[in-house]
Amino acid sequence: MNDRTRDRDNRRTDPRGERRQGRRDDRTEGRETGQAKRTADSGQARRNAGSGQTKRPAESGQNRRPADNGKDPKGQGRRQEEKVSQFTFRMKKKLFVMFLFILLCFAGLTARLVVIARKNGEEYKRQVLSQQEYDSVTIPARRGEIYDRNKTVLAASEKVYNVILDTRNLLRAEQKSEGCEDATIAALVRYFGIDSGKIRDYIRDNPTSQYYILAKKVTYDKMAGFEALMDSTSDTYDEQVKGVWFENEYVRKYPNHSLACDVIGFTSSDGRGQYGLEEYYNTVLSGTPGREYGYLDDNANLERTTIAAQDGNSLVTTIDGNVQTIIEKYLLEFNEEYKDKARIGNGAQNVGCIIMEVDTGNILGMASYPGFDLNDPRNTDYLKGIARVNEKGKLMVDENNRRTWEAITDENLPEITANNELLYQNYNALWKNFCIVDTYEPGSVAKPFTVAAALETGSITGNEIYQCNGMLEVADHEIKCHNTFGDGAVSVTRGIVISCNVAMMYIGQATGSRVFSDFQKTFGFGLKTNIDLAGETRTASLVYTADKMGPSELATNTFGQGFNVDMIEMITGFCSLVNGGSMYEPHVVSKIINSAGATVEHVEPRLLRQTISQTTSDRIVQMCNLVVSDAEGTGRTARPAGYAIGGKTGTAETLPRRNGEYVVSFMCYAPANDPQIAIYVVVDRPNAGTMGQQADAKYATRIVRKILTEVLPYLNIQMTEELSDKEKQELEELRAASVTTQAGVGEEEEEAAAPETTQTETAAEVSPTEFAENSKPVWKSFERDAEGYYINPNNGNKIDPVSGFEYGAPALDEDMDDVPGVDANGAGIFEEIIEEGDYRP
Amino acid sequence: MAVFESDAEKLNKEEAEKTRESRKAAKEAVHKRFRKEYYSDYGLIFMLIFVIAFGLVMLFSTSSYQAALDFDGDTTYYLQHQFWAALAGFAFMIGFSFVPYHWYQKLTVVAYVASGILILVVLSPLGYSANGATRWFRIFGVSVQPAEIAKLGMIIFLAGLTDRLGKLAAQTKFFIAILVTALPICGLVYFITDNLSSAIIIMGIALLMLFIATPGYKRFVIIGAATAAISALMVFIALQTRDDPFNYRFRRIMIWLDPEAYASDYGFQTIQSLYAIGSGGIFGKGLGESMQKRFVPEAQNDMIFSIICEELGLFGAIAVILLFVLIIWRLLIIANYANDRYGALLVVGVLGHLALQVILNIAVVTNTIPNTGITLPFISYGGSAVFFQLIEIGICLSVARSIRVR
Repeated sequence: MNDRTRDRDNRRTDPRGERRQGRRDDRTEGRETGQAKRTADSGQARRNAGSGQTKRPAESGQNRRPADNGKDPKGQGRRQEEKVSQFTFRMKKKLFVMFLFILLCFAGLTARLVVIARKNGEEYKRQVLSQQEYDSVTIPARRGEIYDRNKTVLAASEKVYNVILDTRNLLRAEQKSEGCEDATIAALVRYFGIDSGKIRDYIRDNPTSQYYILAKKVTYDKMAGFEALMDSTSDTYDEQVKGVWFENEYVRKYPNHSLACDVIGFTSSDGRGQYGLEEYYNTVLSGTPGREYGYLDDNANLERTTIAAQDGNSLVTTIDGNVQTIIEKYLLEFNEEYKDKARIGNGAQNVGCIIMEVDTGNILGMASYPGFDLNDPRNTDYLKGIARVNEKGKLMVDENNRRTWEAITDENLPEITANNELLYQNYNALWKNFCIVDTYEPGSVAKPFTVAAALETGSITGNEIYQCNGMLEVADHEIKCHNTFGDGAVSVTRGIVISCNVAMMYIGQATGSRVFSDFQKTFGFGLKTNIDLAGETRTASLVYTADKMGPSELATNTFGQGFNVDMIEMITGFCSLVNGGSMYEPHVVSKIINSAGATVEHVEPRLLRQTISQTTSDRIVQMCNLVVSDAEGTGRTARPAGYAIGGKTGTAETLPRRNGEYVVSFMCYAPANDPQIAIYVVVDRPNAGTMGQQADAKYATRIVRKILTEVLPYLNIQMTEELSDKEKQELEELRAASVTTQAGVGEEEEEAAAPETTQTETAAEVSPTEFAENSKPVWKSFERDAEGYYINPNNGNKIDPVSGFEYGAPALDEDMDDVPGVDANGAGIFEEIIEEGDYRP
Repeated sequence: MAVFESDAEKLNKEEAEKTRESRKAAKEAVHKRFRKEYYSDYGLIFMLIFVIAFGLVMLFSTSSYQAALDFDGDTTYYLQHQFWAALAGFAFMIGFSFVPYHWYQKLTVVAYVASGILILVVLSPLGYSANGATRWFRIFGVSVQPAEIAKLGMIIFLAGLTDRLGKLAAQTKFFIAILVTALPICGLVYFITDNLSSAIIIMGIALLMLFIATPGYKRFVIIGAATAAISALMVFIALQTRDDPFNYRFRRIMIWLDPEAYASDYGFQTIQSLYAIGSGGIFGKGLGESMQKRFVPEAQNDMIFSIICEELGLFGAIAVILLFVLIIWRLLIIANYANDRYGALLVVGVLGHLALQVILNIAVVTNTIPNTGITLPFISYGGSAVFFQLIEIGICLSVARSIRVR
């Protein structure tokens, strides 16, 4: 009310000044008025003097005018202004309107706030919570080690560091103190050799980035050096180095590089095990990664919690590093000797070797050639020399479906690396473990099993004598013996010793397909051994079932053709043949220990079943001993110096028949009288031409001999035989070589001669089989070539001077090609069955 | 007995009366001597102290996380800067309240020219950029945002100009002339310091001051309608050219219409701000408990109101709005009682500036209008802003001081 009155007063033109003045008189004079007067009066006085209009009291504080700079055109205008120079009622009204408008705006905004909170409140609350996951960090777990049986490290994890650049922090530091950026980049270049231009480009392009990995997997030493720069307590502290931090990671290291590569396997860059133990025991090894995360408590406070990473458990394997080294040494030696011999490429398509403890199933050593460096499995150098496979993982064939044996060389490598799928398939051919993945027809190494089954069931007494005419007619098929001219009278034992197919077929007929088939299962053919390695092949479809096994199938199966096995199956079954019939599950890991060293699991030898009786086993051992010791024996060349051993050779023609391609093998145990270890060497299609030159078990027996010569003494197995002077000299040389360097290739000449002496020696000592023929075999009347082979006058094939084996003569009719589980039109029986599903037991 | 007693009492009473009167007289004398003759708006000062203290608390709450990240664990970095700016601003405010406001009237032209020149200083070597825009210059180790000075300069200039033109300002040609004189400063602020929001606010201040200074509503209704029409047209064009590369010019509008669609890039700030507001509920998560302050970009700056909503809820947000309403109310009172039009116009300018900035800030935070970087007065981080806003209040206090108490 008071306002209004005053306003109205103010609007009046007449003596408003006096009224105000009068009012002011009631009060003491104010400082303010005086001030105002002082402020205004100079200009005021001047103007008053000029205009002469003195309507207004001179000392009026309210009506001060600004210094008139002469812009005002007329005094009249000035008078007008003087009238309205009060803050008029109308203005107040407008101000009030404006205030109402402002209030309205505020009310609207408040309503908007309420709407947001009510309409979207719940949804936004959830959004806010879901965003909080943001700062959860995974703490990597250390992957467990893999040791050999002597606790030598085969695989270990090493902590490494990723160098992270925080551009935003660095630039902020640069702003504070010039030169930070240069100092930091210089340090990064100095310690990690990172290209400075790259860093500068990144900083320029991403000024707000807080996470950029500059270098991966930097060693501790480098990291520690750099970290000292940023540590204010260290001597090398450089306060200008900013915006860099490190992230932990573990990297898998294999200190022995390619040693036992097929058994161990490797890890992918994200720490997942691939192939071998790394894959099979991936969960055991990998442990549980920890996590650092924030969560919201009851009051919606953000709390931080760290769950520590649980390191993976370690594996102690049954592998003996030294045995493994010896095996790989001689596999390599074999390759060096035979590579590029008949064709460009490795010494053989594959060479595999397993050494196993007969009474436990422990694998002492397992290797196949070619190998690769586990630290660098993707190095294409290791691919060179292996036979190339196509995109489906099959060996290359020409238009006649014959294998071209095109090896991977420098020339075709770019073509392969250009195609990812092709490269992967070729890598797979390199990385796979031949000993458990590849299947093949075992050949004559299956013969002891045939005999054992017959003896065990009483189908034969073991005293039978069969007449071998070089072939046997079974169900309209003429199935040939290895010696097409006939071995003459062949006892059961001689059948094993000279590896007579006809004798085996007779034994098979006596056993019958049902029993034979059952015993195949008993020995584990067609069953997985469940060895603890990733990728073991399932062979069930590669073996005949009883009802599918006709007479001709039975006949060929008796000498190891017509069904497929893999190496681990054969040696596992063979161990049971020679150890008294106990079938042990083969295994590689003997103990699982945790990161603190405590044993988590102890793997005991696992007895699966009794395959044959002790008596049968003893007789099989007797027969197999003769294979090595008898003058006629096919495995004489395998005998190592100082030891009597027993075993069986195998030579199997691959599909398609008549390709002249063979898988040769030798499977044996040592020592002869008390088998402790078994060894199986398979040479898959040696690089020796396709005119029958491949069909020589000596490729395998020589490797076995060399390996056993070193392994048996190493394993502290007592020598059973006296050493000849030559053998002594040989061992001396070996000892000297093992100190200085690897066994030289020059030794080869001597070794070739060695079997001859052994032969004469054993011939004098051990009486040849009673049934040794009186007359000379037919083939001994043929002419001999320069190398000492007899030549078959009918077809010009070479005939082995000792066994009478005719190279290049197929044992099977061509129409026998359709063995089970094998695509007769395909690349052959050597199918690498490595579909994903087959990997795990 | 009774008579004597009563006499004695009478005597006593008279004595008492006398002493009481003499005391009263003495008291009055003292009172007279110290009596306030002129009006000091303690209410406004206390409200400002409160809002600044509250602003510092909220600033610490929102900025401590970011500060720790940005400045090696120094959680109080932003708080310290703001505190010293606010303290200096407060001292200057008190100082300016003793400066007779008529002095500014002489500085009318100077204020205008100085505003323009100071903006141009950012182009000189003194200029200083941050976040990709050169909005500051550095002098004696203090960075100053000339746009904030320009707002103050504009208030002084327009108050002086309209007051001098008086009724002439109501004439269309002068009306337009006044608006046109405001344009160069707006242009400088927009084109040189790339600060659209400050340019809008300067224009808004000019319009509001003219609204008060000139009679009639018609012009303002026309201007309002024209603004609304242009806005609608821009929204229409933005929607029509949705798939056109040309559309990026209307990005702010597109984000405003559908922030979710740009949630991961351009609309990130807007959508995170809405999350913060929505998740606060009625009483909020509690002081310092905001989870969004790590996500909302410029949480301590333009978006501080969203964090207030999150931590203190609708209750806190409305309390803050009411606080600003009260401050504006106090300024309204000062303008109403101002001794003259010039003082009143100064206060109206400050009032308009404050109201505009609060309204626009809250409108941006709630995505009621497209996003422009407008700070919340006295609360948002920004030393220049709080310093010059306090000086503006100081000028208002000076106007208030000239009101004589009756």
